[in-house]
Amino acid sequence: MSLTPATDIVGTKKSGRPIGLLLVAAPVLLVAWMIIWPIISAIGRTIWLPDEGGTESFSLETYRFFFTDQYSLNNLSVTLWTTGVCALLLVLICLPIALYLRFAKGRLAAYVQGLAIFPMFVPSIILSYAVIRVLGPNGTVDLLLNSVGLPHIRSPYLTPWGPVIGLVWDNIPLTVLILLSGLGNVSNQSIEAARDVGAGRLALLWHIILPRISNSILVAVSFTVLGIFSAFTLPYVLGPAAPEMMGPFMQRTFRDLNDPTSAITQAVITFCFCIVFGLFYVRSVAKNRTT
Amino acid sequence: MARALVEKRIDWTGIFFAVALTIVIVFPLLVVGTWAFTNVWRYPSVIPQEFGLKFWQQTLARADVWSAITMSLSLATVVTLLSAIICLPAAYAFARMDFPGRNILFFSFLAGHAFPKFGLLVAIAGIFLSLNLIGTFWGVVLIQLVGTLLFMIWIPVAAFQSVDRRMEEAARDVGAGPFRVFWSITLPQAGPTIAAAVLLSFVGTFYETEGAWLIGAPQIRTLPVLMISFINNQPVIQYGAVLSVLLWVPSFIALLFARRVISSGSFAKGFGG
Repeated sequence: MSLTPATDIVGTKKSGRPIGLLLVAAPVLLVAWMIIWPIISAIGRTIWLPDEGGTESFSLETYRFFFTDQYSLNNLSVTLWTTGVCALLLVLICLPIALYLRFAKGRLAAYVQGLAIFPMFVPSIILSYAVIRVLGPNGTVDLLLNSVGLPHIRSPYLTPWGPVIGLVWDNIPLTVLILLSGLGNVSNQSIEAARDVGAGRLALLWHIILPRISNSILVAVSFTVLGIFSAFTLPYVLGPAAPEMMGPFMQRTFRDLNDPTSAITQAVITFCFCIVFGLFYVRSVAKNRTT
Repeated sequence: MARALVEKRIDWTGIFFAVALTIVIVFPLLVVGTWAFTNVWRYPSVIPQEFGLKFWQQTLARADVWSAITMSLSLATVVTLLSAIICLPAAYAFARMDFPGRNILFFSFLAGHAFPKFGLLVAIAGIFLSLNLIGTFWGVVLIQLVGTLLFMIWIPVAAFQSVDRRMEEAARDVGAGPFRVFWSITLPQAGPTIAAAVLLSFVGTFYETEGAWLIGAPQIRTLPVLMISFINNQPVIQYGAVLSVLLWVPSFIALLFARRVISSGSFAKGFGG
């Protein structure tokens, strides 16, 4: 199964019959109705607000409220903090794994690769439960520490570190795969050539490998930022009640506080914070698909 | 000579990663598995005082568990079927036909991936509010259906494109009609990959939590949604553990089928790697 076919999506057959359009109409209309339209409508309904008389006029009131409300700002900053820490940790953890997998062969490497990909097959809700059982109060780590006479850990559960642990765990597989795919572009010859002129391991990494995979690192970071900035399940289950990340914050504003306009304002703000990463990510996927 | 020396050296880096990942990845899941088969495990014993299946009976006797299982299975089935009905013909068209706007329409399925997912869900929920789709089965179906589009179009397109066109032409030369060619030549070659896409979207929908929680709760209760409420409000630890093991079964099946697909490298390319 290849997501990157050998031929360009632009086919060679020129029949020009509109029956193709008919066949693709249903999913395309669904995208238009359920993705494009909600985004346009979200921006529209948060800047055209009805006043008491019911007439709509241009107003940035909901945005002004968000950026002057201390609680909203705290939520935004904990989201930025979590996203930054997770992206950094993921690169620091996954780059060594990917480097090892690129150059190692044999059964041990296959085992490491299998484990690194395995979290992809663990739904985040099971992961949340596992994190609570292991790192939560009186969890397995506490049991083990207690049995050798050590004091309890300060549990990350219900602190901002809870979501960080869960989100990093959850994102290891795709980060490793994206970096590994980037490392595939580093040829053995260039590495051997550098070794022959006496380059050490660090010089090799810094001058030969990193420049060639910088794009993959950016793709991995963009993917992580997009996924983590508005993550819901893990922050909702593992994180503190306040400040909360944008995902749980939007959910609570929408359902519990029954205030869709504020929730959609928060959504548009998350769009704005992620737009650069989103466009970069989509552009790389599209480029991969066409070449 | 130098290479032989390198290979004989003990792979300390590999051993380090293997041990670290085993502790971080496998150990937490083993703990959950152990809890599921534990009757009594009181602090501070390192191993459970009593193993057993007591809580399997209790969990499976709960009405909310059964209704969540039924709800999850029927949602995943309906969404996957609908997705296959609308996406597979579209994938065939993208792979084989020429029509105006083909490229831009093909890449339009990426649009959803340029935005943070939950923000997009909230924006969709804003639309659903005025359509009275909040808290309904079909509202959840729609939101989960959108989540399957990219996979269900891009993977089958690749499958249709990799079918050997010469075999199709040969079949046509000996007099086979277009449907006969599709049925006997195209489908058998593209079939396994398409089946993988269908399986992926079934499993993905089965575990979809955020849309179901935002749009469906509390009326539409899927297994992951029930699991959230068990974590938040259920003092009996084993219920969550048993549910985790039950919940993991589809993922295990996907794991068996998808292993080759995912380690092939082209999968990561699909994510922009």
